[in-house]
Amino acid sequence: MKLNLKIWRQQNAGTEGKVVDYMLDDVSPDMSFLEMLDILNEKLIVKGDEPVAFDHDCREGICGACSLMINGVPHGPEKATTTCQLHMRKFHDGEEITIEPWRANAFPVIKDLVVDRSSFDRIIQKGGFISASTGNAPDGNAIPISKIDADLAMDNAACIGCGACVAACKNGSASLFVSAKVAHLGYLPQGQPERFRRVIAMVDQMDTEGFGSCSNTYDCEAACPKGISVRNIARMNRDYLKANLFGV
Amino acid sequence: MLKFLRSTILSKIVMAVSGAAIVGFLIAHLTGNLLMFGGPEKINAYGQGLRDLGPLLWIMRGGLIVVLVLHVISSIFLADKNRSARPINYEKKKSLQSTLASRSMFFSGLTILTFVTYHLLHYTLGIVQPQFFHGEYTLHDGRVVHDVYTMVIYGFRNPFITITYVLAMTFVCLHISHAVPSAFQTLGINNVKYNAMIKKASAALAALILVGYLSIPAAIMAGALKLIEGAK
Repeated sequence: MKLNLKIWRQQNAGTEGKVVDYMLDDVSPDMSFLEMLDILNEKLIVKGDEPVAFDHDCREGICGACSLMINGVPHGPEKATTTCQLHMRKFHDGEEITIEPWRANAFPVIKDLVVDRSSFDRIIQKGGFISASTGNAPDGNAIPISKIDADLAMDNAACIGCGACVAACKNGSASLFVSAKVAHLGYLPQGQPERFRRVIAMVDQMDTEGFGSCSNTYDCEAACPKGISVRNIARMNRDYLKANLFGV
Repeated sequence: MLKFLRSTILSKIVMAVSGAAIVGFLIAHLTGNLLMFGGPEKINAYGQGLRDLGPLLWIMRGGLIVVLVLHVISSIFLADKNRSARPINYEKKKSLQSTLASRSMFFSGLTILTFVTYHLLHYTLGIVQPQFFHGEYTLHDGRVVHDVYTMVIYGFRNPFITITYVLAMTFVCLHISHAVPSAFQTLGINNVKYNAMIKKASAALAALILVGYLSIPAAIMAGALKLIEGAK
């Protein structure tokens, strides 16, 4: 395959970036998207150019490190798939592919396609945990949990914190991410003692980080590589309202 | 009092609750307007009935103004926050499953606000067409009241006013088609089971409001609603 890549290049956070064109030949349709970028980088290095910086880690679709806005869609055209699990067979020969970093005030560009997502970490630090006594490991089945609740908690625990929801949202809102983290613990008995403190702390941190608000357009849900549902946003709003009305 | 503005979710909740009140007003206003089809006696008596409420009418108007101001203030706060959340735009960005209505809420809202101002200047304050504003009508019981019926007919005989009205009502329909299900989501009073029903009912409500409001200018243009004989 032959590709015409339009890639966002930016030296660092302080400099202005721009889109640079690259022609890439001999791309195998069996390559993953990141392997295609690896090939490009090898060629750039041979030529003595600076390789394109992009985030990646496990390349198994479970870590949340990879990102990339591909032709205007977070993680590219395949539904419920991370960029690392996206393959070049989803594109056609001679296609023009625009590759950009996530765009959000709370995700500043570090270099090229790499953005700083530590705002997500700071939200997690505010309440994405349960407090438990240390000591021996608790007895496995000491706390019964219904299958329904366990499944719902697990669906939300699937969130890998990649930031595709923020990237897809016209408002750069982190509502889907925060709601998944709130729901993941909120469905479980272990998450109940801190449930209302958690939602207040995490939502307030989300606002402080400069994410936008939720306009209920639901593009986040369509972009999420893990298929997190917007029903969690309604649940988060409900918990946040309850916490504000009745105290925590 | 405006402490809710510190939080996006609380602002959204204020948007949802004030919006629900405005939808309630739209339905009540439409019900009143449809009395046009009952003839001059009905609509003029209704208009006088509202005026006879006296201080109660002003309490209702005051409530509406408060609701509208809260809706506008929170929308400005949220729009500003949303805009600053993405300082650099994408070269290329696709909409995935969002609707046109959901993406244009601020614009449609702004258009509606402009229209509402004009609408008040027209039919409430009588500044737009003052020549038709001071007509009088004698009810069957002999009371002489403000002639709403004739004023409305003259209003919609003006093509500029009718086109503006049709456009504004289209924006109202677009706005509430997203606003109603969105309010349920914001307040968290929905679930997977009822979402499809809420969506359908909201679309039906938006369509009903559009058809209802447009039926009056349509009837006037089609000649079904005529001027009263002898009225000026």
